[in-house]
Amino acid sequence: MIDRLHSSTSISRRTALALPLGLAGLSAAPRQAAAEPEPVRGGTMVMIVNPEPSTLAHYAVSAGNIPMIATQVYEGLLTYDWDQKPQPNLAKSWEVSPDGKTITFKLQTGVTFHNGAPFTSADVQYSFMEVLKKVHPTAPVVLAELIAVDTPDAETAVFRLANPAPYMMKAMAARDLPIVCKSVFEGTDPLSNPTANKPIGTGPFKFVSWERGQSLRLDRNEKYWKPGLPYLNRIVARFIPDAGTRSAAMETGEAHFAGYSAVNYADVARMKQNPILDTTTKGYEMTPALSVLELNSHHPHLDKKEVRQAIAYAIDRTFIRDNVMFGYGEPATGPLSRKFVGLYTDQVRRYDVPNRLEIANKLLDDSGLPRGADGSRFELHLEVNSFGEQWLRQAEYLKQALAQIGITVILRSEDTATWLRRAYTDYDYDISEPFLSQGIDPVVGLNRQYLSSQIRKGVTFVNNSFYANPKIDRLLGEGRTEIDPAKRTEIYHKVQQILTEDSPLIWLVDVQYVSIFNRKLHNHTTGPLGTYQAFETAWLEK
Amino acid sequence: MRAGFARFARNRLALFGAVVLLLVLVLVVSAPLAYPNNPFQLVGKPLQPPGGAFLLGTDTLGRDVAAGIAYGSRTSMLIGLSATLAAIGIGILVGGIAGYYRGRVELVLMRVTEFFQTIPAFVLAILIVAVLSPSVPSEIIAIAAVSWPGIARLVRGEFVALGGREFVLACAGLGASDLRIIFRHLLPNCLPPIIAVGSLLIGTAILIEAGLAFLGLGDPNVMSWGLIISAGRAVLRQAWWIATFPGIAILLTVLGVNLVGDGLGEVLNPRLRNR
Amino acid sequence: MRLARYLGYRLLLAVPVILGIIVLNFFLIHAAPGDAASVLAGESGAATPEYMALLRHKFGLDQPLSTQFAVYLLNMAHLDLGYSFRNDSPVLELILDRLGPTLLLMLTAFVVAVLLGSLLGVLAASGRNGWRDNLISLASLVAYATPGFWLGLMMIVVFAINLAWLPTSGLDTVGADNEGWDEVIDIARHLVMPATALSLFYLALYARVMRASMLEQTGMDYVTTARAKGQTERRIIFGHVLRNALLTVVTMAGVQAGNLIGGSIVVETVFGWPGIGTLAFNALQSRDLNLLLGIFFVSACLVVVVNLIVDLVYVTLDPRIEI
Repeated sequence: MIDRLHSSTSISRRTALALPLGLAGLSAAPRQAAAEPEPVRGGTMVMIVNPEPSTLAHYAVSAGNIPMIATQVYEGLLTYDWDQKPQPNLAKSWEVSPDGKTITFKLQTGVTFHNGAPFTSADVQYSFMEVLKKVHPTAPVVLAELIAVDTPDAETAVFRLANPAPYMMKAMAARDLPIVCKSVFEGTDPLSNPTANKPIGTGPFKFVSWERGQSLRLDRNEKYWKPGLPYLNRIVARFIPDAGTRSAAMETGEAHFAGYSAVNYADVARMKQNPILDTTTKGYEMTPALSVLELNSHHPHLDKKEVRQAIAYAIDRTFIRDNVMFGYGEPATGPLSRKFVGLYTDQVRRYDVPNRLEIANKLLDDSGLPRGADGSRFELHLEVNSFGEQWLRQAEYLKQALAQIGITVILRSEDTATWLRRAYTDYDYDISEPFLSQGIDPVVGLNRQYLSSQIRKGVTFVNNSFYANPKIDRLLGEGRTEIDPAKRTEIYHKVQQILTEDSPLIWLVDVQYVSIFNRKLHNHTTGPLGTYQAFETAWLEK
Repeated sequence: MRAGFARFARNRLALFGAVVLLLVLVLVVSAPLAYPNNPFQLVGKPLQPPGGAFLLGTDTLGRDVAAGIAYGSRTSMLIGLSATLAAIGIGILVGGIAGYYRGRVELVLMRVTEFFQTIPAFVLAILIVAVLSPSVPSEIIAIAAVSWPGIARLVRGEFVALGGREFVLACAGLGASDLRIIFRHLLPNCLPPIIAVGSLLIGTAILIEAGLAFLGLGDPNVMSWGLIISAGRAVLRQAWWIATFPGIAILLTVLGVNLVGDGLGEVLNPRLRNR
Repeated sequence: MRLARYLGYRLLLAVPVILGIIVLNFFLIHAAPGDAASVLAGESGAATPEYMALLRHKFGLDQPLSTQFAVYLLNMAHLDLGYSFRNDSPVLELILDRLGPTLLLMLTAFVVAVLLGSLLGVLAASGRNGWRDNLISLASLVAYATPGFWLGLMMIVVFAINLAWLPTSGLDTVGADNEGWDEVIDIARHLVMPATALSLFYLALYARVMRASMLEQTGMDYVTTARAKGQTERRIIFGHVLRNALLTVVTMAGVQAGNLIGGSIVVETVFGWPGIGTLAFNALQSRDLNLLLGIFFVSACLVVVVNLIVDLVYVTLDPRIEI
């Protein structure tokens, strides 16, 4: 396979290098000891996507279940190797000016969209300026500095920035910033474009049909610009609402791949025993996420730093990791995921000390919150995350854990709409237990949670703990534009130390997703974006 | 009464049901004595199989399944009984008014009753719980709201049948007030069938509660059988005991309630015999 | 001709019921806190207030409630069920996509429950108090007390995983692209467990009702009269008793048609059946008002139609009733 790629002439040198690199990385994945067999063409790969996406408008909605399908159809300018270094994709090369304010992309030639339209720099310009910048939910952060995209010729796109934006180059994959076809979108409102559910991209697979509640079919793009690819004839995404049934579909061989913990953590151990299946935690290196507790500091007791710290001490994060996440993930130590290698530090106030319960009780005693006759100091409501069973388990554990330090927790388990309204619009909550994706860079994950300017009524997953610290505001602002890696590390270490001390949120688990796959399926996880990138080199044993 | 009891006792199934129900009631009363800790307490290593330190094993967080079932019996019974009583209350009110006053009132009320029978019951229950936010009171309201039409129709039928009888006419002739006629004369006469049908409603109510909890619409602060099943569902195959035992508890309780209801029906309501 | 007029009359009677359902649901749903825009934005991670306002405007959620209601009623008058913004798709299309599987599941469960239930009821009644009666009665009592979702979970473990006789879930084997009989057999194999889980409760119920009704009819005067006239026992059973007992079951089944839709929510969730039930639950969770109202409307229509069919069956079974 590698040979075939090298011999192909129309692929740029860098791409040819990039693909084998991806394969080399894969050899570290489990059960790759023997030499990789020769890929076989054809076959239908069935993957489980959960929950079923409500829309495929990948350019306008960043829900986590959409890109598993959308990145088969849409492509980005770049892709990333296992070291998270940019690699060519729709852009065959690029150049960043020394001041960081101009990025020039040279584009692939001979690429066409699934509707036959040729791919040119006009599509790049339209995608970024007219679609993504206008309707993509994270554009206000990621594309904030982008002023214009110039198109000196059909093969060149020049991005002009107001200020350097070091994080932007990490968001150029299809998962974050997909390229859409200008002629399809021109003159329409991107939010009601007819291709929302019938995506047209340049990717290795073409959208065919979507039987809602059942499955979605993608067929091989015969005119795909990477010669010889993809190997699979078809990808079918299956939607199965019940977790037990999803596991069963993997075990009976009905489905070949389940990414993003579509299979419950609880079932993974059993899957590992199954001779036809295997698991991997690779492919999630660029998908950091933390489970946290948001604390409403408008509550008279939660306003006190010592009370928040006491709560942080009361919780056994390892217990949550072991029994709620069934051993996947790492106990969180602070506001940043370990996946931000270099920027992360554990040199912060540690809440996992042996005598943590004593400290917690003492902190509360000293704050003038003595236990009453029934052993309870005060009462807090906890809003249960509605996105799955495991969050109710976590809430049940938290209730017991906080009872140990005399805080009575009352659980409130409501549906998504009600929960989000309570926590982010009405602020009628004490503790909320969301699960926060940290994005491609701390700029995405930290800024929205801790900047005082991100206290925005009615906006979900932003600063609803009313945390306002001028020092943090300044540091996070500096982190945004700092290009020097060493200085950036210094800034974010300081941020982590201050935040951990103030404890505006409680950080629980640094989440680790897991993929289950059938051993007949090869080359499925070829980079740090894992399931969020195309299965162009995946193939099925007959 | 004595003859009735004898007939009930002769019905072996009803007797069996009564014994099962009695056991459930023992569980309801003795739960805090047998398990002084609250049932959410993490008492041991998670996922211990039954027969070890814990009779029915532990769940994913290390809670005692047996304690959960004991406390769950309280929730099931509380919701089953309260919802049924509420449904009977509404049913008597609507059916009674319709059956007593007849005419246009009856037409309107019976239309409303039919209307509630047309709406898919479980869907309406889900909707009500979602609107009121999941808690024991909202579950009771939701279950009552979908259970009353049957009672209303029954009461109306009985009232219509009794209303023509001479003694009611006589009461009316003697100048007794409407309320007096309803509560002193009509209602006592149709109580037996109401009790018989109502006891069957308890079983349905317990099943609806379990279904709501299974879909994540139960009260998260109160231990219930449906909650244990939905928690055990994720680990059904590693830890079959978590979802299996509460399922059996539901089955036995509903079976017991229904058998007793059947027995009562035979004794109290000759017309329902053999059903 | 008379039949047509009767049908028209019945349909006319159904109008206020359906209208009532629309009104009740509209206001119930709007009483719930939270809206579709916040769910959508919540799933997307963070979103700007402008984006949320854009969504709310697009969904019409920025209009006063009375306007929203008026618009909805007006659209309903044209049988326009509106647009599901969350699913980026017309409501009618979404429902029609799911209607087939749900009808298949419900009708199978319904027919199995009525036929098999009646059969068991007859068997039990004809051997009253014998072992057959006791066995059937006990089994139906147990089935009547079993939660459907629990039964479904247990069946998956036993029949799909341990024994590997039946597929775990879904409507058909994905990617197999069967045609003709292969396709029919494939779907039938997928249908077995969900239909069983959904029908068992009703099957048990109808067996009980049938048995009771048979016994009740046997004691009726007309049976005695027929016996006195010297008619054969066989003829009495099939000609009179069975027919009248069936009437009771059919009436009951008609009333319960609506409940079958409710039951299918849980069963569809367990078996990944792509039907209306899961669609409704998801719509509720995500506050997809138009879709939810559309589903209520369609299911109300379904119930009305089923009741109408029951009426017609009734008429053919009972010649005394005139239309």
